[in-house]
Amino acid sequence: MKISILGRSTGRGRRGRTSAAVALGAVLALTATACGDDGSGGAGAEGDGKGEIVFWDNNGGVRTDIWKEIIADFEKANPDIDVQYVGIASTEYQSKVDTAIQGGSMPDVGGISASMLAGFAAQGALEPLDERLEGSSLNGKLNKDMIESLRAAGGGDDRLYSVPTSANNGVLYYRTDMFEKAGLEEPTTWDRFFEAAEKLTDKGSNRFGYTIRGGAGSIAQALDAMYGQSGITSFWDSTGRKTTVNDPKNVKALEKYAALFKKVTPAADLNNDFTKMVAQWDSGEIGMLNHNLGSYQDHVKALGVGKFRGIPQPIGPDGKRVQVSNPVDGIGLFKSSKNKDAAWKFIEFAVSAQSNSKFNESAGQVPAHADAAKDAWIAKAEPTKLAADALSDGSTTIVQLPYYLPDWNTISKADNEPNFQKVLLGDMTAKAFLDGLAEQLNEAQAEWDEQMG
Amino acid sequence: MITKEAAPAAPAPAPAVPEPPRPAKRRRAWDEAPRWQIYLPLGIYLVFTLVPFYWILLFALRPAGSTSLVPWPMTTAHFEKVWTDRGFGTFFQNSVLVGVATLFMTTLVALAGGYALARFDFRIKRGFMLALLCSQFVPGALLLVPLFEIFAELRMINSLGSVIIAETVFQLPLSMILLSNFIKNVPYSLEEAAWVDGCNRFRAFRVVVLPLLRPGLIAVGSFAFVHSWNHFLFALMFLNNQEKQTIPVGLNTLMSADSVDLGALAAGGIIAAVPVVIVFAFIQKWLITGFSAGAVKG
Repeated sequence: MKISILGRSTGRGRRGRTSAAVALGAVLALTATACGDDGSGGAGAEGDGKGEIVFWDNNGGVRTDIWKEIIADFEKANPDIDVQYVGIASTEYQSKVDTAIQGGSMPDVGGISASMLAGFAAQGALEPLDERLEGSSLNGKLNKDMIESLRAAGGGDDRLYSVPTSANNGVLYYRTDMFEKAGLEEPTTWDRFFEAAEKLTDKGSNRFGYTIRGGAGSIAQALDAMYGQSGITSFWDSTGRKTTVNDPKNVKALEKYAALFKKVTPAADLNNDFTKMVAQWDSGEIGMLNHNLGSYQDHVKALGVGKFRGIPQPIGPDGKRVQVSNPVDGIGLFKSSKNKDAAWKFIEFAVSAQSNSKFNESAGQVPAHADAAKDAWIAKAEPTKLAADALSDGSTTIVQLPYYLPDWNTISKADNEPNFQKVLLGDMTAKAFLDGLAEQLNEAQAEWDEQMG
Repeated sequence: MITKEAAPAAPAPAPAVPEPPRPAKRRRAWDEAPRWQIYLPLGIYLVFTLVPFYWILLFALRPAGSTSLVPWPMTTAHFEKVWTDRGFGTFFQNSVLVGVATLFMTTLVALAGGYALARFDFRIKRGFMLALLCSQFVPGALLLVPLFEIFAELRMINSLGSVIIAETVFQLPLSMILLSNFIKNVPYSLEEAAWVDGCNRFRAFRVVVLPLLRPGLIAVGSFAFVHSWNHFLFALMFLNNQEKQTIPVGLNTLMSADSVDLGALAAGGIIAAVPVVIVFAFIQKWLITGFSAGAVKG
């Protein structure tokens, strides 16, 4: 039996009032638990250089301890400023900041790497830092290439939106014990690399020469292998409108690289992101791995320092080392900050020689501060030292990837990673893959040129 | 006065129709099936299910750098690291608070809404039910920015209250539909009998209907708890202070851009899984009863 609400109105008014009171009470109780960020976003003030600032770390977790140490040092030196640290996983950072920008509730300071810079700058969320840097003690002390890399990756207006903290670099890790046993030479050239990959492989014993990245992040690694072998030194041709990714030399290089899959690598590499790839290399018998400086400490923990080395990418047939650029990491100031003066003080402190050295020693990366780059710890961290030398001694040409293109992340990830898997499986030719990639890049560049006038 | 006899009476059963006996041959064949035909497929299934769990335990309990296939020598270092250094103790407390609050709010509001849907007719009832169903097809990520703006206006960003409200709101439609079906299965005549005995509507509901809804309430409540326990997006977006973050967000921070501590990640995963396993272990009987009862419309 069903009854109508309209026919049973006894006590309805009282019930309505009670329900409203309960609902209001619940909202007020929950609101009462609110605190911290007001979310008003009413913004843009210099402030008096005191009070609280909020810092969002773009690689929270592993770097949390070192940032907390730097923040403690800063608060000791600046007792009037409190820094609230928020560690955010690198995979979620972009979406969290994008949501905060839309919702008008941004932090004061945030980690801003080159790969994210274009998107945030295009939304007008970041404060230009050129003038502040000119008047700072940091002026002239930071690595010029890193500054230029961040300037180029910004909003296309040739302004600096992020102060560099560190550079990562592609590294070829190899197992010294396996190389010695097989009587192989160090894989310093691409020829030696391919020879070692083949000779170290014994599928029956579950031993492989190399582990390839077939899952998330595969495109950057494939580009590194392509440009490294082909020796082409620029991502764009002389007109600046057409990419060189589908140059016949690159096509040939990719064919050779993709042919390694399953021949000298585990079949499971098809879905390798960096986590699986690194875990596999650390726990199995695999001769070589391409990754960056960031995983060095993981290898040390798993293998010990005696069983492996990390060297710069191999040299090409004409004696040149060509690498694609890794995103430079930095710290930016959000335009909505109500306390920019205090926020800038924190940025200056975090990039000072002492803090920058401390941070990069922990992260195993190349410091942006010139004095920090001379510290003794670098000589002891071999891959970092070799990478720093390779970046500064003129032996390496860096192919700058177009991080400034707003579509770069989409093109190099969602759009083309599945196609690269098809290339590995033999369902697509390297030429077809690179032609498709080139078409998308050329279109994105044309759009960019049009927007920039 | 409500008597015990009056309350949980079941609807009068329909005259029993004798069920035709199953073919004797078929029953015998099933009964006589060798045990291995049952245990072998179950065993294979268990291997596929339990090996990943063993792998997690292995990483969590063996020392960093070990490649041993058994967790020996055993270490609790990874658990200590995530619990104290990585703040999982605090994350755990926050997750419990969010989970329990969501459980109570979802159950309470869904009970009231479900009762209205089951017992009252109103003009837009069909449209309202349809809207409830349709809301299930809207992913949370789509509403993230509007929700963020609303909570920012209410000055609730960085408050656990924002996550509790968002979780409750997203779980209400399904919970309401489920509970309304449970309530429909309770004969209306029972409530009427209680009114005749002097109860008002609320007391009749509390004394007569509510005890019969226990399986449904447990099913809805446990799902509200487990869903909010595991949910990542709202906590990530609405909470900034490290001291207020929840377990799924904490787990995510154990993987950095180019380095991952697998031992800590496995230990964190076990800490995250334990409450869910305990909840399901205790309520599985009620859960199955609840879903089968809710599946039959009165």
